[in-house]
Amino acid sequence: MTRNFSGAARTLWVRVLVVALALTAAPAAQSINHESDFLSRIRRLTVEGRRAGEGYWSSDGKRLTFQSEREPGNPFYQIYALDLTTGDTKRISPGYGKTTCSFFRPGTDEVEFASTHHDSTSKKQQQDELDFRASGKTRRYSWDYDPEFDIYAYKPGATSSVPPTYTRLTNARGYDAEGSYSPDGQWIVFTSMRDAYNRTLSAEEQKQLEVDPSYFAEIYIMGADGSGQKRLTSVAGYDGGPFFSPDGKRIIWRRFDTSGLIANVFTMNPDGTDVRQITDFGAMSWAPYIHPSGQYILFASNKLGFENFEIYMVDIDGKKEPVRITYADGFDGLPVPSPDGRQLAWTSTRAGGSEGQIFLAQWNHEKALEALRAAPERKR
Amino acid sequence: MKAKSIRIVALLVLAGLTRPALPTAQIAVASRTRAAVEFLASDRLEGRDTGSPGERLAADYIAMQLARAGAKPLPGHRDMFMPFEFTAGTRDGGSTLTIHSTAESRIPNPESRPAQSFRGAEQVQALSFSDDAAINGPVVFAGYGLVVPESQNLGYDSYAGLDVKDKIVLVLHYFPEDTDAKTKAALARYSDLRYKALAARQHGAKGLLVVTGPRSPNAGQTLRMTFDTALSGSGIPAATISGAVANALFAGASKSLAAAQEELDSGNPHIAGFALPSSVDLTTKVMREKLTARNVVAYLPGSGTRDSGFDRPWVIVGAHYDHLGHGTRGTSLASKEEAGQIHHGADDNASGTAAVLAIAQALAKRPLRRNIMFTLWSGEEIGLVGSNAFVTNPPVPLAKVAAYLNFDMVGRMQNNKLAADGIGSSAIWPRILERANVVAGFDLAVSPDPYQPTDSSSFNQSGLPTLFFTTGSHPDYHRPSDTADKIDYEDLDRIVDFAAAVVQAVANVDVAPEFTKVDPPQTGATLAGVRVTTGTIPDYTTEAKGLLLAGVVGGGPAEKAGLMKGDVVVEIAGQSITNIYDYTFALELLKADTPVKVVFMRNGKRQEVQLTPAGRR
Repeated sequence: MTRNFSGAARTLWVRVLVVALALTAAPAAQSINHESDFLSRIRRLTVEGRRAGEGYWSSDGKRLTFQSEREPGNPFYQIYALDLTTGDTKRISPGYGKTTCSFFRPGTDEVEFASTHHDSTSKKQQQDELDFRASGKTRRYSWDYDPEFDIYAYKPGATSSVPPTYTRLTNARGYDAEGSYSPDGQWIVFTSMRDAYNRTLSAEEQKQLEVDPSYFAEIYIMGADGSGQKRLTSVAGYDGGPFFSPDGKRIIWRRFDTSGLIANVFTMNPDGTDVRQITDFGAMSWAPYIHPSGQYILFASNKLGFENFEIYMVDIDGKKEPVRITYADGFDGLPVPSPDGRQLAWTSTRAGGSEGQIFLAQWNHEKALEALRAAPERKR
Repeated sequence: MKAKSIRIVALLVLAGLTRPALPTAQIAVASRTRAAVEFLASDRLEGRDTGSPGERLAADYIAMQLARAGAKPLPGHRDMFMPFEFTAGTRDGGSTLTIHSTAESRIPNPESRPAQSFRGAEQVQALSFSDDAAINGPVVFAGYGLVVPESQNLGYDSYAGLDVKDKIVLVLHYFPEDTDAKTKAALARYSDLRYKALAARQHGAKGLLVVTGPRSPNAGQTLRMTFDTALSGSGIPAATISGAVANALFAGASKSLAAAQEELDSGNPHIAGFALPSSVDLTTKVMREKLTARNVVAYLPGSGTRDSGFDRPWVIVGAHYDHLGHGTRGTSLASKEEAGQIHHGADDNASGTAAVLAIAQALAKRPLRRNIMFTLWSGEEIGLVGSNAFVTNPPVPLAKVAAYLNFDMVGRMQNNKLAADGIGSSAIWPRILERANVVAGFDLAVSPDPYQPTDSSSFNQSGLPTLFFTTGSHPDYHRPSDTADKIDYEDLDRIVDFAAAVVQAVANVDVAPEFTKVDPPQTGATLAGVRVTTGTIPDYTTEAKGLLLAGVVGGGPAEKAGLMKGDVVVEIAGQSITNIYDYTFALELLKADTPVKVVFMRNGKRQEVQLTPAGRR
């Protein structure tokens, strides 16, 4: 999951402990389960494959594009589109290499995603990873910021017998991923670590790159055809996971501090101006997505424990205290409301084990507004 | 739920009043499962005990419904009934024991001493698996009669250094009472009486006597002749004797039975058994009442079975339709007040039976390449006897069967949760389930484990891919209160639609699913060693780090301790609990009426209570 937290952070357990100690324990009152106030008919959507995540809706709400480790012979994520009416699933990405972060181009069958399939070592890497897993060894979860990742636009063939086309939209050295379209389909906002490769780094920066390349991640924007790539942020630490607001007038993303442990939700104009901080939990708050009503933001945070991510919502300006949505052990994150605002897709480990799958529930928008109104003002 | 069903009834009445042929889409559709559940769970069928008149009536009804759905008897069969024989009950047929003391004595001629004879269930009674025989020989006391395999690295063998060849062995029931929990746990696994009989036989003994020692629960009492469904004996005469009879056998021995047990209870593996100064004449007789019950089997023919190279042309869909009758057998959980009442078994398993009938009806109209066989089992509640009889003597070779799908307790859905167990038995299951469930919309709780206490186990053991669907346990489980009014018919109908799509997918897939052997759970815990009840109802549909409770039995130890639905038990008597197997294992170690600490999570908070287990009936 790349719209995920910093990989390097999770390997640095000393820092983790410090932060864990700093986080205050949740008051007992918070442990009363309010999940059913907002979510009903919760259900597991994906079953096949070791894990799946990051489901994003088509603009008619009838399909979901997501990443899943289910391609035979490939241990890495591939991109799939799921038809919610028939249950049919079709692979969107080429089937080899690593992929992540897909998004439907509004009103079309086109899908953007990040992939490394042009890397000539792709198949060898697949085999190496399969061998590693077969050896029974395990490693701590960490996302691989493969510098080969570039953003592609998938377009299906005119008929089922015509192969799809893949247009490469970025080719800078460094991880280019986490893309999403503007509501009019004309723009893509994305994350790039190209800044670590397109200039001479200081010795300190070089060291930083080896430990945690996500330190160099910044938000960029480009035309849907890859033209006019422009950098929007320039603050040290991982800026990533950008999405447009439903009216296309703002960009929402998450910004990590340089430790890679604290993240908060920010918004800005599509030209990078008027940056506003929305959350301030002192924890890892990330994966924000704006509800189609434009009135509030859903995001994930590990406020209640380093390994326990829950989904929260907060008013669009971040004036109130965020309201907790999920109450399950382990990971609940990457919330994405359906275009009609009545359903929520998210990634969760609530079915057990450590690997996420996509879940789906009915979303109670009225209850959400009510809870936001009742939420106390955030202390500044 | 109530409001909704009233609305449906109102709509139906309305529809009837206007005109009969309203387009079905415009009125609430009547449940496709309610009628079958209501009939099968009605008082008239008296709980559908295997081999009972109520069960026969149920089978007749099922066959009629299958025929109405368009299913036919299997090729070469005249009807849908497949009878099998089962042991309906056992009782002692007049076993006797006569003791001749061989103790050294000042009386010159031991033969002249009077022999003591015992008969009657309070003194001597055959064990249900005993061979019928008349034997005689000297008696050897072999402690608890436990033999732990070397692989367990425990080094416990009651027969080490003991010559029991052609002798009659006397052993204590259960396992050493005072050892640490870990040793107890290991020993408990080998304390089942069948296992003890096997160990005695393997060491050359010609008979086995069992006494419940003075330091164990129910001290000195003979064992109830438990219902044992196996048709075969254990290959050795075996009987339970009272404490008084055991003391008579010990008369003149170097120590008393009580003293011998106290030594053994330390768990020290070096405490050896010894020969007793007695020889006995033992006659054992077990009366086994054999009855016949019926599986109901029918099929819908597929179109593609003659395709060249089309492999494994059968898919089997099944559910058991038998239940507990009046609950006179061991697995009833009826409270004292409910004892003897009809156990209606609406969820267990009129719900699964109704689902299979409705699946047959739904599939009759769809294109199918493979044949679909519908199997409604009897004898499930007494040990999967019906499905075992089927796989032992299958009407079509099992090599021609692509998969078995089982439905057991599917009528009490909670939180939209449907469990699908056994997905580890074939690589094909995740894909098929995911696709069908996108449309059905259940919160599917999948588990790889095909070793489930239901008929799918019979097929897993035969090397077939299996799936087992259930909505899980509840406080009415195995009690008279499992009634038809508590069934959630709306969701049961949803399960039918979902299951029909899954069956159709298997029926039409080009290459039959391949079987994957899942390693059996590595605990060996069985209910055989469990002597107590805690009154908890585990939730099998949710994977939790601990034992999630679907409920507690009213008036049972768990309820008295303050445990409730939703609690997750994480520790019992110092044993950490991470799953249902750990739990069963921990239960083996508990003593009735001895309070233990139970640690559980409630709303994310760790809490502790004292729970006092009760003895099992």
